[in-house]
Amino acid sequence: MGRNQQRRGWTLVCTAAALAAVMAVALAGPGTALAARTKIVWQVHWTDFQIDGIYQGDRLVARGLRQWVEEYERTHPDIDIELQSIPMEEYLNRLIVAQAAGTGPDIISVLNTWGPQLVYDGVLDPVPADLVADVRSQYIPVAVEGATVDGQIWGIPFEVGNYALVYNKKHLQEAGFSGPPRTWDELVQMGAKLTRRAADGTVERYGFAFLAGWESAVVHPYLGLLWSLGGDFLAPDFSRATFNGPEGLAALEAELQLFRSGATDVSASVWEFPQGRVSMMIMASWYESSLKQAFGSEYEATVGVAPIPAINGKSVNAAYSWWLGVNAQSRVKKEAWDFIRWFTAQTLPDGTTRMGTYQAENIGSIPPRKGDLAGHPEQLDDLYTRVFVQELANARHEPNVLQGAEIKTILWHEIVEAWHGRKTPQQALDDAASKIDDILREFYG
Amino acid sequence: MTGPGAEGSERGLRPLGRLPPPEACPRREAWQMARSLSRRARQTVAGYLFLSPAILFYLVFLLFPVGLSVYISFTNWNMLAPLERARWVGFSNYTYLLTRDDMFIASLKNTLVYALGTVFIGMAIALGVALLINNVRGSALWRFLIFAPVVTPAIAVGRIWGGIYHPSQGYLNQLLRAVGLPPQQWLSSAELALPSIMATAIWAGVGATVIVFIAGLRNIPAQYYEAARIDGARPWHEFWHITLPMLRPTVLFLSVTGLISAWQVFDLVYSMALGGTEAGTTPARAVMVVALYLYTTAFRNLRAGRATAGAMILFFIIFGLTLILLRVLRRGGLEAYE
Repeated sequence: MGRNQQRRGWTLVCTAAALAAVMAVALAGPGTALAARTKIVWQVHWTDFQIDGIYQGDRLVARGLRQWVEEYERTHPDIDIELQSIPMEEYLNRLIVAQAAGTGPDIISVLNTWGPQLVYDGVLDPVPADLVADVRSQYIPVAVEGATVDGQIWGIPFEVGNYALVYNKKHLQEAGFSGPPRTWDELVQMGAKLTRRAADGTVERYGFAFLAGWESAVVHPYLGLLWSLGGDFLAPDFSRATFNGPEGLAALEAELQLFRSGATDVSASVWEFPQGRVSMMIMASWYESSLKQAFGSEYEATVGVAPIPAINGKSVNAAYSWWLGVNAQSRVKKEAWDFIRWFTAQTLPDGTTRMGTYQAENIGSIPPRKGDLAGHPEQLDDLYTRVFVQELANARHEPNVLQGAEIKTILWHEIVEAWHGRKTPQQALDDAASKIDDILREFYG
Repeated sequence: MTGPGAEGSERGLRPLGRLPPPEACPRREAWQMARSLSRRARQTVAGYLFLSPAILFYLVFLLFPVGLSVYISFTNWNMLAPLERARWVGFSNYTYLLTRDDMFIASLKNTLVYALGTVFIGMAIALGVALLINNVRGSALWRFLIFAPVVTPAIAVGRIWGGIYHPSQGYLNQLLRAVGLPPQQWLSSAELALPSIMATAIWAGVGATVIVFIAGLRNIPAQYYEAARIDGARPWHEFWHITLPMLRPTVLFLSVTGLISAWQVFDLVYSMALGGTEAGTTPARAVMVVALYLYTTAFRNLRAGRATAGAMILFFIIFGLTLILLRVLRRGGLEAYE
């Protein structure tokens, strides 16, 4: 064999070996043990400072997710955790596509609306017994309800969201009101008085604005009213929609009173509250940091938070939740659950968990573990969040039903039709119920 | 050497249609088999072999996905479960969309209005602008200014116009107030939302159409106009009897490409009316378009089968409209004078 031939032979062998190595790595995909380190992929809906931490100058004032993960990696040198940051609005799309391609993440952040479908299609791994017991004993009931599908807990709750009335204190004082409305009738009257119009009739300031733009934004406040009035959204066995009865109609009529009184109209937007163009709104717990940023030093003097005004003597508010689950297709399920256990269930000396600290100090949301709720008074007992935490006692979790997003989208569109006066309230609710009944028959019939 | 291969042979290439002698062939059987094929068959095989990468590409990236999409449209697949677990549902996705789903029907109507409006009104405006700036001084600058919105991302265009349409702070309502007219709820009103989005789309797309029209105008031979003027034609006659007929191929091209593109509109509607946290309270039925409906159905409502059936319906609509346009407008331009 000539020298050239020998060299060519070696070149071929090396190329083939390199290709084989590349192929092996490519085929291995996420969630595999590479050499000594086991890789866990976590698809998160947090971005930017939520991942990298909050800094004042060079000083880290609130850890981002990356710093928590790095701590775990330091104490578990055989583990490598990759964070895949996906914006919230794209999260489900990316999960679906990755799952279809067999490259789904090992740890999934699950919005309760998606939960039943993920369970039904076998995407989620059953939660280990010790963590189930931990959730049942350590978490507030509304969060336990949120992570439960068909009577079984499918994830570890890390965020619970609900609603309250957020108002502009200065507007109310200017109009001669000593405090926020306590009843729905007061809300309607005050909303109308707080609305300010220019000479040509243009609204310069709305007394009230509804949250709008996606399904939960419109449906959750409606559910709160419906439940306060004693009605129900769906039959307990999910056999049919029940919101188009008298209570559901009264709930929608209550919303329409705000339109008829002139307190709001279809152009009112909650996103104009920071500009002083809205006096009151029903808002979720995650809006605090935006308000702080918008009002700056005037924040405490301007922003007030109160329970949603009672209707029929009650103020039930709708809640939703997020939980952590492990992909049933993952090849590192044990390692993933170990990490989740360390992050969400292992308590620190002050009784809080790492996840609870992360949620309260960085994300600004409400952690649903009792120890975390009590252990972060600076964040959770402040001007804004205090009312939301208190109102968790009056919160009811939305039902975890298959096709939850589709069902809520149908109701959202019909409620908006009623807001615009394009349908009567009864017609809008009946149309929504008819379509939702079709879906329930398809999946539960 | 004579015959078709001679010239190639002189260049050092193997003569076409000839095989090497048997002793030069590495495998005698292969040589005998190849020899038994006629020259034409060998050329055909060679042709297909040369084409095989392209054929393979189309099979893998076009025919297979299309075939799979057709199959998916007859199932209840949701993309979360493996496709093999999807249930065959026959035509029920199609019948649901066409008979039961008023949102899909509304999206078809809205998209039709959007497509016809933006394409034909846009073309009329573009032709007017093209005629105005075609031969004026500084034509290049005008072309640049008019083309600038075309290269602006649709989401940015949506945001900019969302501000212009703002009910209390937007420039448009300020303008209306200044002239004593009542302000309008441009994007939250069921009646005005779609026309407002269409106006934005026309503004954003008219630049590209103007450029194509200018190219078309410059291709019209000047002697037609000279002859017409000698015969006493007025500008209007020139436009009606020369310019417009000669622009028929351009109009056909713009109509077909414009309609195909308009039927797929998504981003403007998403950013201006129905997209995410900052969207307003526009009634979905008033502005829903097919592409947005399909996206929502597949990725939010987890109904890939139904969304794919909608995509098939969309395909046939675009296909049918294109055929009609080709039929109506295919003759024109210079060949019409031959």
